[in-house]
Amino acid sequence: MTIGEFEYLLLTAAARLGEEAYGAAIRQEIQGATKRRCSIGALYTTLDRLETKGLLKTWMGDATPQRGGRAKRMVRVTAKGVQAATAFYDAVTRVSRGVTWEANRISTRT
Amino acid sequence: MTRICWWCVDIVARMLEPDERDAVRGDFAESGETSGQALRGLLGLVLRRQSALWRKWRPWLALLGAVAPFAILLSLVSRRMAQSSAVTSWLYLNNWDWTYVRNTGFRLDFARDVAFVLFGFLLLSCWSWTSGFVLGYLSRRAIWINGALFCLVLMTVDLLGMPRFLVRSLLLSRADTFSANAVVFAGAFYRQVFPLIVHTVLVLLPSLWGMRQGLRLAALPLPLQTTLWASLALAMTTLAMQNLVWWQVRTWYLEPPPLPHLPSLAPLAIIGPLGYILVTTIGRRWSGYRSSRLSHP
Repeated sequence: MTIGEFEYLLLTAAARLGEEAYGAAIRQEIQGATKRRCSIGALYTTLDRLETKGLLKTWMGDATPQRGGRAKRMVRVTAKGVQAATAFYDAVTRVSRGVTWEANRISTRT
Repeated sequence: MTRICWWCVDIVARMLEPDERDAVRGDFAESGETSGQALRGLLGLVLRRQSALWRKWRPWLALLGAVAPFAILLSLVSRRMAQSSAVTSWLYLNNWDWTYVRNTGFRLDFARDVAFVLFGFLLLSCWSWTSGFVLGYLSRRAIWINGALFCLVLMTVDLLGMPRFLVRSLLLSRADTFSANAVVFAGAFYRQVFPLIVHTVLVLLPSLWGMRQGLRLAALPLPLQTTLWASLALAMTTLAMQNLVWWQVRTWYLEPPPLPHLPSLAPLAIIGPLGYILVTTIGRRWSGYRSSRLSHP
């Protein structure tokens, strides 16, 4: 199952957050990592698409006072989702080997 | 300004599924977004959701098969019923004399005319409710767009009138074009206000109610469902027949026919909608009564 860039970002953010993965937290995680604004429209429609593909599972969680007593849409990455994200990451790593920015990155790290 | 913006957010959020609405509103509260950002984000989400809906066939079927035909037919029939009942009402109100009441013939005529007008109004409400119901059922969540278009066509046809070429092609009969009725329609009330009241109360409101009920179609047993859809189809057929019937009336220069000569299927058009409203209302009351009895034995 192939995925796009934003789908990969979403899966990765959800995997990093683990049990605490839900709409607002994932959005914050993506915005923090990419330094770009993540629209709520893109987030929720992508969540639906990924759920349809069977790459993640969502359900309505508990309501908290800081959310005005409203429930969260909780997210969990499925085994199929992990596989798809791994495949995407491998492809990006492979394709980046030997290009200028990859070399720069390695030199910056060392 | 902020309060108005949040109010808009609440209104727009109604276009989402209840669970999603809850999650999105919660996300806004948690991330501390400004009302403007929230509204922009929400509009984006709603737009994406609506565009996804329009990739399916149902909203298109509702738009092409129901919105324009039902709205135009209802507007025409509503205008015609309003005008014919305006003539009846003008005749009685402007020539009323209590001494007439002693006359048996007058009483019979009066009862027949009132029954005719009331039956016509009931029929019009049922047609409107049925149109809204079918539209709501077919459109589902696309009802926001289809419903708005339906109301727009309804009001446009009523306020601006039909395009001239369509009037000719449908061979419409209009009470206000009959010279003997000129005195009735000389005043603005019977010419403009009365038809607008009829249109709003008997067409627009029942249509909106029908849309709401069509969205929440109650889970009925199969025989009842079949009966409901058969009677709704009958109701729509009788609505479509109206032009033909009135065209005949116009061609033969006949007065509007009295109650027994109405299209014979028309009374049946009332049974389906009224039956459904009755069954769902009684069912809701009964379940409410049962749950209150269970919680307070």
